[in-house]
Amino acid sequence: MAERLVPITRLGKFFGGEDFELDTSMGQEWLEGDMNFTVVLYRIDRYKTRVDDVYGESPEGGIQFLAPVELKGYVQILAPNAQRLGTSRIEQNEPGNLRFSIYQSYLDELGVDIQYGDYIGYYETESKVRYYSVADDGRVVSDNKHTYGGYKPFYRTVIATPASQNEFFGT
Amino acid sequence: MALPKVPIFKTQIKPNIDLVPPKTLSARREQLLQYINEDGTYLPKSVLHADLDGGMLEFVIGELKTTVSGKDISVVDKIITNQRWSQFTETWNFKDQDFNVQLPFITVVRQPEVKFGTNPSTQYTIPNRKQFYYARVPTWNGNQKGYDIYTIPQPVPVDINYSVKIICNRMRELNTFNKNVLQTFSSRQAYTFIKGQYVPIIMNNISDESVIDIERRNYYIQSYDFTMLGYLIDEEEFQVKPAISRVLQLIEVDTQVAQGLRARQFPENPDEFIYDLYYTPSNSVIVDDQVDYRIDLSLIGTGNVDNYFVYINDDYYGQNVSNIQLNTGDLFRVEITKTTVGQEANVKFQAKLV
Repeated sequence: MAERLVPITRLGKFFGGEDFELDTSMGQEWLEGDMNFTVVLYRIDRYKTRVDDVYGESPEGGIQFLAPVELKGYVQILAPNAQRLGTSRIEQNEPGNLRFSIYQSYLDELGVDIQYGDYIGYYETESKVRYYSVADDGRVVSDNKHTYGGYKPFYRTVIATPASQNEFFGT
Repeated sequence: MALPKVPIFKTQIKPNIDLVPPKTLSARREQLLQYINEDGTYLPKSVLHADLDGGMLEFVIGELKTTVSGKDISVVDKIITNQRWSQFTETWNFKDQDFNVQLPFITVVRQPEVKFGTNPSTQYTIPNRKQFYYARVPTWNGNQKGYDIYTIPQPVPVDINYSVKIICNRMRELNTFNKNVLQTFSSRQAYTFIKGQYVPIIMNNISDESVIDIERRNYYIQSYDFTMLGYLIDEEEFQVKPAISRVLQLIEVDTQVAQGLRARQFPENPDEFIYDLYYTPSNSVIVDDQVDYRIDLSLIGTGNVDNYFVYINDDYYGQNVSNIQLNTGDLFRVEITKTTVGQEANVKFQAKLV
C-alpha cells in the first residue's frame, strides 16, 4: 500500500515546497561546498558486534563497524570543562561536546543514518583526531528551531560526547 | 596403565609444600621483632603518617590488584594532594592525548583529618606518655662494660580514613574489583605490613558516584571506604639511659712469689694432735687440771715408763690404758713408775677431737 502523503499548505501565501527546496539547496551548497566541515562517521555494526549476554558490553576489540562515511555538516566544539572525577582528587580537563548539524536531505541522499552510540571522528589538525560518541542522535526534529520558519524540519543536530581513548580510537 | 578418569580437584593438590614449617608462638614473635629491628638498630623504626599512607598504597597495589581481559587496571601509586604538578607526574604513564588520566584506573584518596584511634588495644590505657622498657643493649667503650636501657612510650593510636576509588567504563571492571575487595575483606578486616608491623584495615562502606548524564561522558566511579587502625611510633620519643657499668681491673702478679709467701696453716689438722705428757727427772705425776674439750686419747708410746696409772676426776681409771675418753671439765691425772728413777720420761697419746 502506498505511503499516505499529506500536502503542507501552511505559509502557502508566500512560501511553498519549491521555495523550501531552493533555500535548503542553497544552504546545503554553502555548508557542504563552501564551509566543507567534514567528520567521519563510524557506525556500529549491531549485527556483527559481539556482546556479553548480561550487560550487553562488548569485549576488548569486540565492536565491529560498518564502513566509515565522510559527512559534511556544521561542526561546533563546545568549551572544555576542568573538573574532578567524582570525589577523587584526580583533575582533568574534559573536552567539550561536539554539536554537529547536518541536512536531513544529505543523509537521505547518502542513505546513512546516525544512531545513538555511533562514533564520530573529527580532525582538529592534520595529525590530531578526536573521537566522540553520539549521545543524542537528533532524531527528534519537531521543534521550531529545526524547521524552516515553521514550514518543515530540514536538519538534525547531533550531540556527541568525547570518547575515552580506551573506548574508541579509530578503526 | 591409564590414569583413572576421576577428576582431581584443586583442593586435593598442593601446588607448593613448605619445606620449612612456618614459625609460631614465641618463635614467630621473635621473627616479628627481627623485622622491626632490621637494618641494625635496637629500636623500632618510626611509624608516622607517611608510613601508614605508604602501607595503604602498597596494600591497594598488591592485595587489590585487578586484572580484566588480561590487562591490569592501573593504580595511581601516590596519594593525590593539592599539588597539581605532582598529580601530572604521578599519572603520566597512563594518560590520554589530552593528558587526562586514562580509564580505567584506581586511586586512593586519604581524608586529610586523622582522628584519635579506636583500636581498643591502645586506647587510653597508659597516661602521661610513660616510658616502657624495650631492650637492654650491651655497651663497651674500651674500658667500661655496661648496658643501655632503651625505653619507648606507648604508641599513639590513629584512625585514618581512605577511599579507594575505581573509575572505569565497563561493568565487568567494576565487578572484578568488587570481587577482589569483598574477598579480601570477607572477615571485615585485612592487614598491611608496615615496617615489620601488621596494621589492620577495616572496610566501612561502598558507594557509587558514577556520572550518568546524557550530555556528558559517562563512566563509573565506585568508592570503597576503609579505615586503617594504625598507631604512631615516633623515634624522637625514644629514650636511651645508661644502666649498670662495670670496671674491669687487670693486675699482673708473680705466681712463684705468691706461692712462697703463703701462710702455713697451724695446726695442719686441728682435729687431731699429739697429747704429750713430759715428766722431769724429779717428777712422776702430771695433773691436767681441767680438760677444755672432749677428746679420745690413743696411746702412741712411752719413754722410761714402767707403768702408768690413769685417774679421771680423782677416780682410778686403769693401769697402762691405751684408749681413754675425756670430757669437757674432767680432771685428768697420770701417775707413772719410771724404769730408771732420776731420768726424764714421757707418755705420748694421739688426741682426736670428738
